[in-house]
Amino acid sequence: MNATASTLLHILWTFSQLSVLGFGGGKGIIPQMHRDAVVTYQWITNDQFTQFYTIGKLVPGPTTVFAALIGYAAMPGRPWLGALAATVGMFVPSSVIMVVVDVFWTRFQASPWRAIVSHGLAPAIVGLVWSSVWTISRGTASGLVAYAVTLVVTVLMLRTKLSAPLLIAASGAVGIIALR
Amino acid sequence: MSADAAAPAVATAKPSLLSVALTFAAISSTAFGGGQKASIRHQVVSKGWMDNELFMDGLELAQVLPGPNILNLAIYCGQRVRGISGAIAAFLGASVPPFVIVLIAGALYFKYSSNPYVHGALRGCAVGALGLTLGNALELSWDERDDWMKIVLLILTAVAVTYFKMPLLLTLVLFGGIGIAREYRKSRKAKANS
Repeated sequence: MNATASTLLHILWTFSQLSVLGFGGGKGIIPQMHRDAVVTYQWITNDQFTQFYTIGKLVPGPTTVFAALIGYAAMPGRPWLGALAATVGMFVPSSVIMVVVDVFWTRFQASPWRAIVSHGLAPAIVGLVWSSVWTISRGTASGLVAYAVTLVVTVLMLRTKLSAPLLIAASGAVGIIALR
Repeated sequence: MSADAAAPAVATAKPSLLSVALTFAAISSTAFGGGQKASIRHQVVSKGWMDNELFMDGLELAQVLPGPNILNLAIYCGQRVRGISGAIAAFLGASVPPFVIVLIAGALYFKYSSNPYVHGALRGCAVGALGLTLGNALELSWDERDDWMKIVLLILTAVAVTYFKMPLLLTLVLFGGIGIAREYRKSRKAKANS
């Protein structure tokens, strides 16, 4: 098998696994995605991972669409193919599950399992989000300005209704002045 | 009267596949941050595709299953109004525009990221995204405060994943499994007491 086909399959397989495990809207998969893309396969650098994640937060739609950028960078010869493979891997498996379960859903409607599963998984998902904070902070949060901006954004997010892309864009403006 | 009258109130209108795809494309390409669920609800209910109850039921399912909530919700709505082809139309509508937009942003990134101003802006944006993630973690943790064992569980998860590099599957099976077992026991107790 040539290198292109092999990378393509690795991309598909990696993101398909993340897709199926993407409980809680996919919030918990960031640490594993980082490990796969940066450490195991070395498709991208640590800094790129953080920046792609940021772009994912900045654009409309699901944050995890930034998988496309990892696929793009993973296949320098055929970037568009890599991007497509990563996106198909990221979105198709969970969508197939959604379609299949919906067919049987009415049967589960009265079942207490829905609440048991979603409430039961919640602490693990939140723990994974904390781990994501650590993943994203590596290389990003260094220096007083970065710490200050992080804290201000955190407070504004919790206390005001300012939208996420607006807060990111404002942080970018601070960056142009103070983080060059 | 036709047999339809006796059927449960599933979808009241039958939109074209194109209209299903375009509805979700419009939402996925314009809705930033939050508010997407509300705009999907507004669209499908006002267009007469389904009633509010059916929508809320789908929202719950979309949140329990893996995958982005918005995408799952779009697929649910598409499937309810036009079956499997509706689900595919909704999937494409909800996923293609963000895919194209993120690639345009990515192409600009690869072209200009070495420029010092762009580099500064990107670092600033990344710090902003970190702040949002931190805020999200705090908010979600606050929701778990009713039960100190849940807080212990989430700390153990964070430590296991961050410092001991626990794989995602094992993390969900182990810590998710403990959480589910506890919820199950709680529900059994509640049933026994009632």
